[in-house]
Amino acid sequence: MVNLTIDGKQITTAKTSTIYEAAKENGINIPVLCYAKKLLPYGACRICLVEVEQMKGRLIPSCTTPVTEGMVVNTMSDEIRKVRKTVLEFLLVNHVVECPVCDKGGECDLQDLTYEYEVVTNRFQGEKFDLPTDEINPLIERNMNRCVLCGKCVRVCDEIVGYGSYSFINRGFETKIATAFDRGLNCEFCGQCVSMCPVGAILPRPFKFKARPWQLKEVDSVCGYCGNGCTVTLGVKDNQVQTIRFNEDTGVNHGNLCVRGRFGYSFVNDTKRLKKPMIRNSNGILVEAEWEEALSAAAEGLKAAGSSAGFIAGARLTNEELYLFKKLSRTVGSDNLDHSGGECYRGVTEGLFETLGVKASTGTFPQIESAQAIVAIRSDFYETHPVVGMVVNQAIRRNEAQLTVIADKKGKLTKLPEARTLMHTPGCEINILNALCQTLLAEGIAVTDGVEDVAALQAFLADYTPEAVAQTVGGDAEAIKKTARELAAADKVAILLAYGLPYSAYSKELATAAANLAILSGCAGGAGSGLYLCGEKANSQGAIDLGIVPGAAGRGVQKMLQGAADGEVKALYVVAEDPMVTYPDRQAVEAGLKKPFLVVQDIYLTETARLADVVLPAATFAEKDGTFTNAERRLQRVRAGIKSPGEAQTDFAVFTRMLKKLGQVTAETPTQVFAELSQECTEYKGIAPADIGPQGVVWGGESLAPTKKQLKTVAGLVPMDASYLLLTGSCLYHSGSLSTHARGPLSVVPEAYVELSRSDAATLGVKEDELLKLKAGDQTLQAKVKVGTRLPAGVMFMPYHFAELELNRVYKGQPAIPVKPVK
Amino acid sequence: MTDNVQQVEEQTEELEVIDLAGANAVIDKYIDMHGNLMPVLQGIQEHYGYIPEATVHLAAERLNVYASQIYGVLTFYAQFHLKPRGKYIIRVCMGTACHVKGAGRIGDAIKERLGIGHAETTEDLKFTAEYVACIGACGMAPVIMVNDATYGSISVQKTAEVIEKYQAMD
Repeated sequence: MVNLTIDGKQITTAKTSTIYEAAKENGINIPVLCYAKKLLPYGACRICLVEVEQMKGRLIPSCTTPVTEGMVVNTMSDEIRKVRKTVLEFLLVNHVVECPVCDKGGECDLQDLTYEYEVVTNRFQGEKFDLPTDEINPLIERNMNRCVLCGKCVRVCDEIVGYGSYSFINRGFETKIATAFDRGLNCEFCGQCVSMCPVGAILPRPFKFKARPWQLKEVDSVCGYCGNGCTVTLGVKDNQVQTIRFNEDTGVNHGNLCVRGRFGYSFVNDTKRLKKPMIRNSNGILVEAEWEEALSAAAEGLKAAGSSAGFIAGARLTNEELYLFKKLSRTVGSDNLDHSGGECYRGVTEGLFETLGVKASTGTFPQIESAQAIVAIRSDFYETHPVVGMVVNQAIRRNEAQLTVIADKKGKLTKLPEARTLMHTPGCEINILNALCQTLLAEGIAVTDGVEDVAALQAFLADYTPEAVAQTVGGDAEAIKKTARELAAADKVAILLAYGLPYSAYSKELATAAANLAILSGCAGGAGSGLYLCGEKANSQGAIDLGIVPGAAGRGVQKMLQGAADGEVKALYVVAEDPMVTYPDRQAVEAGLKKPFLVVQDIYLTETARLADVVLPAATFAEKDGTFTNAERRLQRVRAGIKSPGEAQTDFAVFTRMLKKLGQVTAETPTQVFAELSQECTEYKGIAPADIGPQGVVWGGESLAPTKKQLKTVAGLVPMDASYLLLTGSCLYHSGSLSTHARGPLSVVPEAYVELSRSDAATLGVKEDELLKLKAGDQTLQAKVKVGTRLPAGVMFMPYHFAELELNRVYKGQPAIPVKPVK
Repeated sequence: MTDNVQQVEEQTEELEVIDLAGANAVIDKYIDMHGNLMPVLQGIQEHYGYIPEATVHLAAERLNVYASQIYGVLTFYAQFHLKPRGKYIIRVCMGTACHVKGAGRIGDAIKERLGIGHAETTEDLKFTAEYVACIGACGMAPVIMVNDATYGSISVQKTAEVIEKYQAMD
């Protein structure tokens, strides 16, 4: 600790603080333009100049100057005021002053400082910038005439996002921020630069001329897309979410968001939302109905089916809603209860439970930043969980962590500095994981204290030497060994595994293999280390914690659908899921949904809802109160920002009404229900709703200790033999099928595509945007071609989000699909 | 909104097809050196005569530097050229002494003969004109340089002769 005096106040602060930080901690405000809490000090704007007695003769930039013992600092004097005013005058020489039409007006740092320092006239005259506005992309508008060259956008895109869109180009007066070759922005569109810009130079386009900042009501909630659980602050006006506001003080994401979080909110305001319940009439047509009628029909249908009713929930419901849904299934007397994808989600947690005795990630996301060795299983990890990916990027850039990506295709993660990519043939992640375990054991560097069945695993892994694995599935034997050694040497290890509907093949086996590696590398149970299971949906972990899984005599999703097709399951209640689009094996799903009495509760008339007998209009995350549990076990508050359109109701309200119809009295508010479920759910025991503050509550603590360390043998896959293999998965801009209703993500990736390598494109004679047909069995898929450098020859990729593509006609849960391209 | 999407796609210009072997060889040479970006770019320029866009993307990928950063470096230093340049670079000194002695007329003469002004290149990629500040040969003003050769006390007539001499060469 260091002692210093700022403005006559005695201050003790950390040795690593800068003058600016020390002042801020103690409530002393120094103006800044180029400083940002999450970026490294830069010192570009010279607004934060202060006087330091020991450094007389010049003014000192407080944001880059470290504190020293006995320092005496003055943050304001006539001299400082004069200099700061001059700096502002300099900036305003070239800056185009168009505050009345600038969206930043009212929260612009330059505007505020100009006002504060009373820069009424300017002693200097000069040329105003006259640069064209970058309006090429639909999400981010760049007006460089307003830029003050603070470099925050350049730095955030490098330090946090790791994309590197921007750089300073040219020299002197000509200096400006530009992309490579000064083209329009064409990047991930995460909008981190938008949130950092202190002026109106980088703005969210969808928000243009929508509202002045002071007209917006701000509501802190949790993003409804992936399991990262980022805090999103809704900017609400006229009962519409107008934008997502920057908020770096709440939640786990420090204000970082991805394209979905920042620009994917528009599905909430979509005019196609369901506004009234619907019932299938005697002519077989869905017609609008009153709530009472629809609820009665649904309740009676489910009640009549009794133990042969099935309940399928999406993992985008809140904990409270999931709890009520489970209660509904019990009230009806059915054990058939499951959530998204059934085997897929459950498989992952079951794999973990058998090996480690827990069913959740063992660490928390902030710990990843200090890990020395990181293994990401599946290169799609960045696509499914971009903001965790940004943490990985920071771990690498700030703390020189070594990242290894076990990948079937390249991607953002494989491009990060010094990232090691263990490329394998599709579907063979387990083989690589086994080879890592084999190395740890063979070289005697594995952690084996208190670990069961070490010898059995070692014997089993004899076939999985890095050399043998590299030969069969690709990858480099030396690289595998290097990674294994790094894992053993590192104090803090992070192993990341994303799961979700498009990754349902061998999910239990994969989780088991990952858990084996976590045990042998000392990651499981190690302080600061963690094995992270990252669910695809906002509340995937909550669904696991609350036991939205089949009861003793119950069926899982696949078996329910099978049973429904066979007439054994007589009624199905599907909430917040569109199995027709997202579940593997469309034909089987359709057969299962068509036959029974089907109740669908969703926000849109989805393909699944079109088959329903009763459709109930539900609410989005922006209309709900409750809690989500993110992929690091953090319970966070979801808050309603707007009212649902038309007669749509929250799933919570629908479930309570339905329960009432079935003669069950339940608590009326989410808070009361949480109190009830926290009694029942062991993980949440002792957590009161009031405890869930801005940073949420992590159940099980920062490090969740495994209850056992049981190694399990799990066989790798034999590489599939086909000239072309099709992979499916998530693309960066979308999440499930929900984001295909959101204008932001859609404007970047509007439709399905088939991605292939340059060499395959050349062999097949197809060019970008041409249509390509893929035959798989008796089915044919058709999509536009996207040629890229991500995929190896012979491997193709199609995202699974798009209803029109009907990818699940061929995707039936296989590791990869052999296809035949037809032009 | 769809219009914008269209634009995003359209702006991805077709890259000029060039043989990257030269650039790869340069990168191979410096790949393990710390701070290798400048020598790599200089080497690429020496090989191709300018920095083709495809080589920027290649260097970005192989050196793990953002293409935007490389572009920043390329636009910062006057020594780098992003467009093909002529085989013969005619530097016309516009320094004080040359200016007084009629350097402007020399520039005009080149424009008249070759149709190129400052920083312009003939279509056949044979000549590039560059107006530069003092090249340090004021004693023989006005002065021009063609690549490494200096031609002092030059006149409009002599300029034409020099150009003809180089036109005759290949």
